[in-house]
Amino acid sequence: MAAAAEKTPMMVVVGIDDSEHSYYAIQWVISNFLSVHGTFKLAIIHAQPSPAYAVGLSGTVGFFGAGTADALPYVESDLTKISSRVIDKAKELCSANSVKDVVYEVIEGDPRNILPEAVEKYHADVLVVGSHGYGAIKRAVLGSVSDHCAHHAHCSVMIVKNPKPKH
Amino acid sequence: MAEQESGATAEQAAAKMKAEEEGMRVMVAIDESDGGLYALSWTLDHFMASSSTLARPRSLIVFHAQQPFQQFVVPAGQGVFVSASVTDSMRKAQEENSAHVLARAMKFCEERNVIAETLVMDGEPKEMICQAVQQMSVDLVVVGSRGLGKFKRAFLGSVSDYVAHHAKCPVVIVKPPKEDH
Repeated sequence: MAAAAEKTPMMVVVGIDDSEHSYYAIQWVISNFLSVHGTFKLAIIHAQPSPAYAVGLSGTVGFFGAGTADALPYVESDLTKISSRVIDKAKELCSANSVKDVVYEVIEGDPRNILPEAVEKYHADVLVVGSHGYGAIKRAVLGSVSDHCAHHAHCSVMIVKNPKPKH
Repeated sequence: MAEQESGATAEQAAAKMKAEEEGMRVMVAIDESDGGLYALSWTLDHFMASSSTLARPRSLIVFHAQQPFQQFVVPAGQGVFVSASVTDSMRKAQEENSAHVLARAMKFCEERNVIAETLVMDGEPKEMICQAVQQMSVDLVVVGSRGLGKFKRAFLGSVSDYVAHHAKCPVVIVKPPKEDH
């Protein structure tokens, strides 16, 4: 009958992007998961898409239709702005819920690689992802990044699904 | 109840409060493998710890799917047929198996002072799990990462993969502790 008190803090990594699914995931984890486990450390990782990656998504996201090399510097600064907005929002959610032991990181690159790497770096016990992110293709029941993480992260994976109907 | 200005939308806050009243239903799907049992103990440790300290009640359902036994057809002589007595004994063996699996699971729960319901359904595990999620209004489903098909190279079994995609609620895939890799 181990006492719940003296546990080593659980390391939870949450991967987020600039989508409602991500903020919902943060809120869900805080309300339902962290409130049970006494001691935890949280790392919120935003994978900032590299400009080429973002431009590749331009069909669904609508950054720049043309996607020429000239556009890349503008895309870069746009992305950086988005990243800081994402992190600010995450910080808001955490402080509103009195979550103290949390670090925030923005890493540039493909989230499919970044998140499993972050798991290794932080020795995470759990990786939390939303079910969909940015380029939410309507047909997909699970986003490609979430799917990839479920397969490749070396720790338990929590996929938080947003109950709102897909629009 | 106090309104929390949490930065979430009003809808989300309202949904949260409604859910708080109703309590959270957690379902763990297990099979005969160790992965399933580990998923259960993970859930017990991380989700069900001393409910008295929680604002909202949590209930745990331990789920087991019995695979349709048409698969276990016994070739005999010229043709392949399944006599009634063979079917019966297969069925009986399967039920004993399920009983054993669930008994092990319930013992785990008892050891941690957690009360759990059990649920057994007949059918393909991956479909049954998703069906149970809907029928039982489950708020969180927990599965192991690999089951009986110990295909070592795959990090994610087919059932866990299916559930991750199709369950209509959050999913936790519990991977075995690092020593197993």
